[in-house]
Amino acid sequence: MKDPYEILGVARTADEAAIRAAYRKLAKKHHPDVNPDKPDAAVRFGEISAANELLSDKDKRARFDRGEIDAEGHEIHQQRQYYRDTPGQERYDPAGGFSQEDLESFFAQQFGQAGRRSDWGATGRVRPGRDMQYSLTVSFVDAAGGTTRRLSLPDGKTLDVRIPPGTEDGHVLRLRGQGGPGFNGAPAGDALIEITVAPDPRFHRDGDDIITDIPVSLKEAVLGTSLEVPTIHGPVKVSVPAGSGTGTRLRLRGKGIRHGHQFVQLQVVLPPGDEPELAAFLKTWTPKGTVNPRETV
Amino acid sequence: MMRVTAVIALFPDLSESELVGWVERGWVRAEGGPPDWVFQEIDVARVRLIHDFRHSMAVSEETMPLVLSLLDQVYALRGQMRLIARAVEGQPEDVRTAILAAIRG
Repeated sequence: MKDPYEILGVARTADEAAIRAAYRKLAKKHHPDVNPDKPDAAVRFGEISAANELLSDKDKRARFDRGEIDAEGHEIHQQRQYYRDTPGQERYDPAGGFSQEDLESFFAQQFGQAGRRSDWGATGRVRPGRDMQYSLTVSFVDAAGGTTRRLSLPDGKTLDVRIPPGTEDGHVLRLRGQGGPGFNGAPAGDALIEITVAPDPRFHRDGDDIITDIPVSLKEAVLGTSLEVPTIHGPVKVSVPAGSGTGTRLRLRGKGIRHGHQFVQLQVVLPPGDEPELAAFLKTWTPKGTVNPRETV
Repeated sequence: MMRVTAVIALFPDLSESELVGWVERGWVRAEGGPPDWVFQEIDVARVRLIHDFRHSMAVSEETMPLVLSLLDQVYALRGQMRLIARAVEGQPEDVRTAILAAIRG
């Protein structure tokens, strides 16, 4: 990332109010939703937001000024979906959508009487139906295992949508011939269904593998235990071998998406509060091995 | 499809009463009714946008209806332009050429 002061156009000595004012001015100018015609507005706005995030946080700004942190790592957070890129804006159309009457008056105004729709029909021109856009949100588990969903269309019809196993967030399914009707013998358009996969705090996806973080107590990690772990195929018993640590990965074969696996990553959690007996024991304890855990640091 | 609690959880500084206020003023057209409002994807995107306007850019509450009205007109016109462009695209080559020539004056 470029220098955040440069991005916001403020002096390095600028106070909080000046930074806020500069940010608001630039945000109004470059917000992607007020610039639907400029694809690069999202990048610019992301830079502005990241610069503001860094400089409006007293602590972060001081550390940046001292050179303790750089501007990197503050730019990823703007990977969000903007209004301009979201389907379904017709809902907010002030005229309530594009009706035939609108189309007629639009053409009458723009192109004179010759543009009236009734004249189009008379020409008998072949016009394919238009593609219709829909969106559908499914749970992480349903997207991973595949499912069928019924979509109610605005015209009252329903459409059964088969969501194949392993469907990723943002994937667009095309159902041929399920869109708008064609005119004068032309084929119907397609239905385009964008799938949103709702995140699930229990699972992360890595290709066809599923990663799950499972906390275990210190005692469980040292002595080993048996746990029930959620998988996309339902809960599964897992035995944690004695002497496991944070980062130990247990593989649940075939419990991922399609032929993938699930990996359980253990996170050792120390007991909360005072544990004087544990502390007393550790003081007198000499480990058998002499491994330096920071060897690679 | 999300409910009020799920939507406010997306923002560190958005209260339920503020969000419901936006719905009641018609800025966000959630479905259902109080207190079980249901937000579709487009409504959530709009909440994000209004949140940006109100919280990041400090657009005043009185100015918001004007901003949203102009914004919706721009998006509606863009949608209509897209439909017309698609209709033109479906025409034979000579018709497309004639339309382009007419637009260019």
